[in-house]
Amino acid sequence: MKKLGALILSLVLAGGLCGAATAADTLAEAKKKGILVCGVKDSLPPFGYVDAKTREIVGYDIDFCKAITKKLGVKLELKPVTSASRMPQLMEGNIDIIAATMTKNPERAKQIDFSDTYFFTGQKFLTKKGTVKSLKDLGGKRIGTAKGSTSEQNAAKAVPSATILSFDDYPQAVLALQQGKVVAVTTDESILAGQLGKLNKEPSTKGQYEIPDIQISDEPYGLGIRKGDTNFVNFVNKTIGEMEKSGEAKKIFEKWFGPNSDTPLKRNFKITAGK
Amino acid sequence: MLKYKFDWAVVTSGKYFDWLASGLYVTIQLSVVSVALSFLLGLIIAVMRMSHVRPIRWFAHGYLEFFRNTPLLVQIFFWYFGSYKILPQAVNDWMNRQNFEFAAAVVALTIYTSAFIAEDIRSGVLSIPKEQMEAARSSGFSYLGSMRYIILPQAVRLTIPPLINQFLNLAKNSSLAMTIGVAELTYQARQVESYTFKGFEAFTAATLVYVVISSVITILVNIYNKTVLRPMRAR
Repeated sequence: MKKLGALILSLVLAGGLCGAATAADTLAEAKKKGILVCGVKDSLPPFGYVDAKTREIVGYDIDFCKAITKKLGVKLELKPVTSASRMPQLMEGNIDIIAATMTKNPERAKQIDFSDTYFFTGQKFLTKKGTVKSLKDLGGKRIGTAKGSTSEQNAAKAVPSATILSFDDYPQAVLALQQGKVVAVTTDESILAGQLGKLNKEPSTKGQYEIPDIQISDEPYGLGIRKGDTNFVNFVNKTIGEMEKSGEAKKIFEKWFGPNSDTPLKRNFKITAGK
Repeated sequence: MLKYKFDWAVVTSGKYFDWLASGLYVTIQLSVVSVALSFLLGLIIAVMRMSHVRPIRWFAHGYLEFFRNTPLLVQIFFWYFGSYKILPQAVNDWMNRQNFEFAAAVVALTIYTSAFIAEDIRSGVLSIPKEQMEAARSSGFSYLGSMRYIILPQAVRLTIPPLINQFLNLAKNSSLAMTIGVAELTYQARQVESYTFKGFEAFTAATLVYVVISSVITILVNIYNKTVLRPMRAR
């Protein structure tokens, strides 16, 4: 029902916003005020979460916000957003940019502009080592995931003969995998990597699981910017492009997704202009 | 102004209707199997609870308190995930190839509901004057015989109204099986919602179906009461 509520809310908000939105010049505004407000997640490690020690929001997304404000020479203000609230917040002007694990898709691109892809992930599978080498190995098998996610639909499309078991949350699906009740758990690789990290911390399961290189959907994340604010889009793209060249972008990736992190991932993308 | 457009066709025909129908089928299977088993088990536990042999009585008492006082959801997780640790690996492997989700849900629903049913039946038995038991025993019936032929037929009849409650609860509680991936009615309604974003329609349909299931249970038990149990009393 949460989704329905969000749907109604967003419809109402969208109705109220019609006509109010005019192309803003975020760049000039931010310089004038000396502050840029960045909408981030605050409970989704390692993208954006509250650090237990410092009580500050940290993460991959936050580091990109920091780099942009540094380049711009203004102060950074972080504002927590949810997946449902981030676009209305941006359009209303409560935040200036979204850095909140937002997948770029055509539907969203009708309402806001996106930067170049600054993080690239995709839906993959978490399995016991050596049991699954290709999608064929999953045919007719049982696959676990969490309810209500797009992961479920993608998996059903990719392996029609498999039985998809939807649990309430990912940790349960992983438990079912450990007990042999499913042969794979499927969702965004960044989430799976977090679960794999947990399994590898446990001495009894260390090194027994893997994420095979089978990707069934692409999830390119982009920074969200108000529609028509071309100046700011160009500025952001230039900034993250330079970060790629200087190696800073890679450093940020290694910090949160490196081999010693809780969510070890391979960096299979580069920030490229126009992508 | 709400711009939400209702689209009842989503749930009244086509693929999504089939999903809901298959969910209904699973809900009915779950309910029927668990109602039958929990009634039997409840009877047995109730009789044990009133036994004169102390260890048996204690066991039944412990069983009742334990299963009545733990949340059903916890029990479902216990049978589904927890049983893995205590069963031999060969048994686990075999069960994982079967429809273990369904079995675990039936076990949890049965055991949970049987504890309540046992207490209902016991209260029915206690309301039968104890002279009846004494008379039965002095006429040569064994303890179990007196229960079987004299006491329980009367007690169960008195227990019908609370039993209806337990069966209704059971049918509705079966929706918790969705948490371990049993594709029953609520699970399917949620599926339809996540595929179509028509949550209102999907859950309205599910709600109506639950009302129908509950009404059918009530009517069936009442018919049984009127046609089978009442005449017995008149005899």
